[in-house]
Amino acid sequence: MREGWSTAGITALGELLSPSRLTGTAARMSVQLFLVVCLWHALYSDTETSGGLDEGQAVAYGVLAVLALRLRDTDRWIGRDMVIQQIEFGTIVYWFLRPLAPWRYYLRRAVGDQLYGFAWAAAGYVVCLLAGVMDPPASAGAAGAFAVTFLLGQSVLYYLVLLTDQMCFWAVRNDSAVEILQFAQNLLSGGYAALWYFPGWFQTMSALLPFQATLSVPLSFYVGRLPVDDLPRHLAVQLFWVVSLAALTRLVWRRAEHRVVSQGG
Amino acid sequence: MTARESEFAIEARGLVKTFRTARRRPGALGMLRALVAPERVSTTAVADVSFSVGHGQLLALLGPNGAGKSTTIKMLTGILTPSAGRASVMGIVPYRERVRNARNIGAVFGQRTQLWWDLPARESFRILRDIYGVADGDYRSRMREFDDLLELSSFWDTRVRHLSLGQRVRCDLAAALLHDPPVVFLDEPTIGMDVVVKEQVRLLLRDQVERRGQTVLLTTHDMTEVERLAERVVLINHGHIVLDGTLAEIRTRFGSGWRVNATLVQTEPATGRCPPGLRVVRQDGARVIFEPDGTDGVAPPQALKRVIDRYEVTDIHIQESDLEDVMRAAYLDDRADRELDGELDGETVA
Ligand SMILES: Nc1ncnc2c1ncn2[C@@H]1O[C@H](COP(=O)(O)OP(=O)(O)OP(=O)(O)O)[C@@H](O)[C@H]1O
Ligand SMILES: [Mg+2]
Repeated sequence: MREGWSTAGITALGELLSPSRLTGTAARMSVQLFLVVCLWHALYSDTETSGGLDEGQAVAYGVLAVLALRLRDTDRWIGRDMVIQQIEFGTIVYWFLRPLAPWRYYLRRAVGDQLYGFAWAAAGYVVCLLAGVMDPPASAGAAGAFAVTFLLGQSVLYYLVLLTDQMCFWAVRNDSAVEILQFAQNLLSGGYAALWYFPGWFQTMSALLPFQATLSVPLSFYVGRLPVDDLPRHLAVQLFWVVSLAALTRLVWRRAEHRVVSQGG
Repeated sequence: MTARESEFAIEARGLVKTFRTARRRPGALGMLRALVAPERVSTTAVADVSFSVGHGQLLALLGPNGAGKSTTIKMLTGILTPSAGRASVMGIVPYRERVRNARNIGAVFGQRTQLWWDLPARESFRILRDIYGVADGDYRSRMREFDDLLELSSFWDTRVRHLSLGQRVRCDLAAALLHDPPVVFLDEPTIGMDVVVKEQVRLLLRDQVERRGQTVLLTTHDMTEVERLAERVVLINHGHIVLDGTLAEIRTRFGSGWRVNATLVQTEPATGRCPPGLRVVRQDGARVIFEPDGTDGVAPPQALKRVIDRYEVTDIHIQESDLEDVMRAAYLDDRADRELDGELDGETVA
């Protein structure tokens, strides 16, 4: 039974059908990676370690952050398939007219998009590793801890994005929420710069928020800044976020389904 | 209750839909007030709608802009939950069991597409095939059928964003019918189509109803379409049903029904010697149009005879009054409006 899993391939198919977008993505990624590598080498030119990270760790962290941010970066706007657009154009009605519940459809699309982004990230990773731009994982244990926490981190990220999308059912525009989330995500997850460089109070604050679980934790395991012994504690925190965000978004889905108002027609 | 047990494919009983929206006064003060104490206004889009459609029937839901047609369809397809009343489609309450209901229905809202904007139309069909679990063989034969009737293959490999409106709506029709649903809802399905394509769509719908036994509920502002397709029409205005019957009934209630077109031998003013029971609608030289004046209920054959008895004519025939004229009269019908306003005043909506 295919059960509508082909919905997962929608974004990827749209991209593959337009080669110009593919070359665009490749070019953007290369430029970003190049700049990040230059930046971190420059910053470490007269320091040995900073924030507990040495030069090799800092570069590896920076490269991985660029690659990971790529995962949810696929342009769904062009496919008119953002929730906000669906609501604005009124095409959201069709989500409720199919034997595939809206939350399932949304989940499959997101999984597909994240896998597609992952393919890009993985390709970029292999290239960087082979080119000697960055170091491999600190140890086999670090690699394992990275893999598990990265997967859970992507789940946390999925729910955070879902929550902003769900807001569209209440407010016609969610731009400001999206902007706040994106900024918070990029900064507090350690996407722009590793959280290790920030002051103590900042690290305490972000420990209370779900963002660092998405990126900072797995990448810190990769570069060996977090000892593998800490894995259980971080897994527990990630699981806590996954479970509570899952419960919350589920509740919101139910309410959204009851109050869907389709405009016009 | 299962689909087999219910006598009707579609049933609406006392459907009501009220929308509550916040009204914002202009200016900064208005904005402040909207934040502190938003003023809520409610609009009754559908006030009281009841009708039923038997299996294999095609029914046209007609009414002027803003009458409540789309809102009614949204309730019947399960998108909106009615404020009051009940709906049932193939024995299922659509807004309670959306997913189960979805297997029984197909829907096109002509102004909005369900196709994926960034993909060729054919990819959308393939995705929908998977969502509905349509078997490959059925899928292929259905696509062939749609292609024969709607000539889709000339553009189905084009991205939806590049399709013309008429092409896009044709693809949307195919997308809605792909899983062969027993009940089909079409809200302005022929929007943006040229006359040739409209005819193709009519053929397709006829085929769906007559050969496949599908039940179709459609709204349109195209009267030719109504004349060619609908055995039965439900006329709705201000959220109320004004008439539920055949086109002939609409004609008798809102139109004069027929006219006599005659060409006289001599050009003379016909008004002076008008035959009994008739009056002159228009005279253009030798050509005169008569209609019954309502005094003696004259039938068309008698009217012809009276005109021939009175004048020397070179040509004479009966003409049915134009459906557009009839509908204009129906939509503008004061009498109905006044009745409705009276009803609305005393009404409280849940
Ligand atoms: N979401 C909504 N919020 C507030 N009012 C609404 C909403 N949807 C519809 N209405 C109002 O309900 C009334 C009926 O709208 P509806 O779309 O059902 O009309 P319609 O018969 O389909 O008209 P048309 O022929 O123009 O498509 C209109 O007055 C409209 O303004
Ligand atoms: Mg409408």
